[in-house]
Amino acid sequence: MTSIGTGYDLSNSVFSPDGRNFQVEYAMKAVENGGTAIGIRCKDGVVFAMEKLVVSKLVKPGANKKISTVDKNIGIVCSGLMPDGRHFVSRARDEAASWRGLYKAPIPTSALANRMGSYVQAYTLYSSVRPFGLTSILGGWDSEAELPVDGQVGSGPKVGAGGKKEGQKRGGPFLYMIEPSGLYWGYYGAATGKGRQSAKSELEKLNLSEGDITLEQGVKEAARIIYVAHEDSKDKDFELEMSWVSSLDGPTKGRHEEVPKALREEAEALAKKVIEGEDDDDEEAEGGATGDQMEE
Amino acid sequence: MFRNNYDNDSVTFSPQGRIFQVEYAGEAVKQGSVVVGIVSKTHAVLAALKRNAEELSSYQKKVIPIDTHYGVALAGLASDARVLSNFMRQESLRERLTYGRPMNLSEIANRIGERAQINTQQYGRRPYGVGLLISGVDRNGPHLFEFQPSGMVNEMLATSIGARSQMARTYLEKNLDQFADATKEELIKHALSALKDSLSQDKELTVDNTSVGVVGGGDLFKLYEGQEVSPMLASAFGEGEGEESMEVDT
Amino acid sequence: MNHLPQAWGRPRDDVYGAYNASFLPQDGPKQHTQSPIVTGTSVVAMKFKDGVVVAADNLASYGSLARFTDVKRLRQFNTRAVLGFGGDVSDMQHLDRLLTSLSLRENYADPGSSGDETDTASLDAKNLHTYLSKVMYKRRTDFNPLWNHILVAGLDDADKPFLASVDLLGTTFSAPSLATGFGAHLAVPILRRVAPDEAAAETLSMDDAVNAVKEAMKVLFYRDARSLDKYSIAVIRKDGVQLKEDEKLEGQSWAFAETIRGYGTQIH
Repeated sequence: MTSIGTGYDLSNSVFSPDGRNFQVEYAMKAVENGGTAIGIRCKDGVVFAMEKLVVSKLVKPGANKKISTVDKNIGIVCSGLMPDGRHFVSRARDEAASWRGLYKAPIPTSALANRMGSYVQAYTLYSSVRPFGLTSILGGWDSEAELPVDGQVGSGPKVGAGGKKEGQKRGGPFLYMIEPSGLYWGYYGAATGKGRQSAKSELEKLNLSEGDITLEQGVKEAARIIYVAHEDSKDKDFELEMSWVSSLDGPTKGRHEEVPKALREEAEALAKKVIEGEDDDDEEAEGGATGDQMEE
Repeated sequence: MFRNNYDNDSVTFSPQGRIFQVEYAGEAVKQGSVVVGIVSKTHAVLAALKRNAEELSSYQKKVIPIDTHYGVALAGLASDARVLSNFMRQESLRERLTYGRPMNLSEIANRIGERAQINTQQYGRRPYGVGLLISGVDRNGPHLFEFQPSGMVNEMLATSIGARSQMARTYLEKNLDQFADATKEELIKHALSALKDSLSQDKELTVDNTSVGVVGGGDLFKLYEGQEVSPMLASAFGEGEGEESMEVDT
Repeated sequence: MNHLPQAWGRPRDDVYGAYNASFLPQDGPKQHTQSPIVTGTSVVAMKFKDGVVVAADNLASYGSLARFTDVKRLRQFNTRAVLGFGGDVSDMQHLDRLLTSLSLRENYADPGSSGDETDTASLDAKNLHTYLSKVMYKRRTDFNPLWNHILVAGLDDADKPFLASVDLLGTTFSAPSLATGFGAHLAVPILRRVAPDEAAAETLSMDDAVNAVKEAMKVLFYRDARSLDKYSIAVIRKDGVQLKEDEKLEGQSWAFAETIRGYGTQIH
């Protein structure tokens, strides 16, 4: 932070002599203290999970959802300034609606990531705005079926040349993470927020690039990872929020929605067990070291 | 002397990732007089302490009815609250006109949240200097939302904002488990007790400075002020309370 | 002075002289749609004691040509409402997209967790009818109407059967039995014989209502040259919507046709 006081960090859209945009870097600082959010791309869908810190017990439990849906098949979870997150989601919904208006079909996840990346980037260009204090994980399931055009009411001739390709492969799971700079990458597993470091190392252990992990496994891993990432701020209570989107023949029928309560609780119980198991191991190790003294 | 260079506008992040102008706007809320909101399974109650500029002036409105099913209580700049409440009235009427149904509370809370967020990201604007409690009953039951100048909106079981509101929140946290099944009368009592806890030593609740908004159990949102709150004060604190200002000139 | 509405707001000819129209475009005012192009014919619907039944055939005509024979004119909005469209098919498709966008927005505001494709039940049939009537009236006021006559069938906020219509002028109308287009003339009397008023509809069984609507569809196929014997039918009740889109009219009898004289080639 040697740059503080040089004046190059006082306005957005200004480069410092060594080519940095400090306001964007400061915006990233806003993200670093937000609740941990992760997304996992599984072979048959995408899972999102969010660590929601309970700031007061006056807040209604289970309300104030932080994971949002865009169109039907896309989910967004943000870490950072929550009001910026709502703005971001609102824009994403407008983009999805305008795509439908033009193409009469749902927006592909990649196209939405691209448009939202551009939108966030635009907020680094002008001194009249500030960057988003936000990193968002955006993912969805693009339909594997041949979708009717919006408003289509008939199926057309069933015989004759239709110009349709047999066995064409389309759709699938997609996951992106967009940073305050507007930069985005595609991910197998993405993590942001306070506990991102430990979440990332847990995600890496899953070998997601192999593409073996199923959605159900993904839900359980996601819950566990949030619990692991929460270990560093153990003193604070949190709620686990989870959502998922599956293929058309999967549990959500291609829609992005909240993970059912029963499954979430099952995943949470498992996660707690794993965490406690680790703690027990630690205690056992300690116990072993002091064993001699205890006998006395 | 240390001079904070990062607090001149709402489009500058500090090196720690904070936006001071937004935080300062949050301070304006803490300058306003205290308001309390509580929901049960059936009812939603708002209670507010009104202030007057001087002895002979009228009291500032603190609870604003928006539609027949909900209202807001404000702490901070009242004129900003008027802008937001006009917007909420407009949106609520539009919902009734286009769909023939009452406005969903989470929807309207989020809409003003989104509006407020814009003011924190663009130059030449200032954040709203007001906090609101939005409370009422919609098709999903009773709700209470807290709105802050940052654009943050949270659904609460009970809460309080404004000057010395921490004392009220302490009361609410202590009695939190009694609210869900409370009757309308009990809920009002709790709200007034929380309000009272946050008063400074030299102040007390009177028919002149207390506003109560109640909705639920099939009844529409009703604002109680003046003599109408006297039975509520009496049942919450006994007959003695508020007697002084109940005097009629003889 | 001319007090007829046509003269309201205009300068008085006897004071200012006749209106000088010379600056106006010579080819007349700007015009929007003057007639529908590809059209669907009647929609027929009827309330019964705990629900509503609605039907429409699967034909889209291009003038007198039976152009498309697999067009679905009933649209399920959610578990509480089905819409039936008569009139211009492309305008129906436009409305369909409006409703898709509405349904997405409803889901944003109030996401159910049931996983049901059509579970945006926070808007009931009555809300939907109110919304559509505003859309249709706005368009007619813009002199650019959506050339449809729509029946909204379903349940209201108290889960009571709801049936109402809105047309291209934004006119709304409600009755225990309704039909659009040719059906307004031919089907309604048949349905009214089964249930003349609300009180009668409240005691009508589902089977009786469904049979009456099917009978009306059959009569329409006999006499409406723009109709088809393939049709869609939906029943909306508290426990959900039952929509069948590939039905065929049963038990047709064309014996009456033998007695018709005066059209086309006659042998006798």
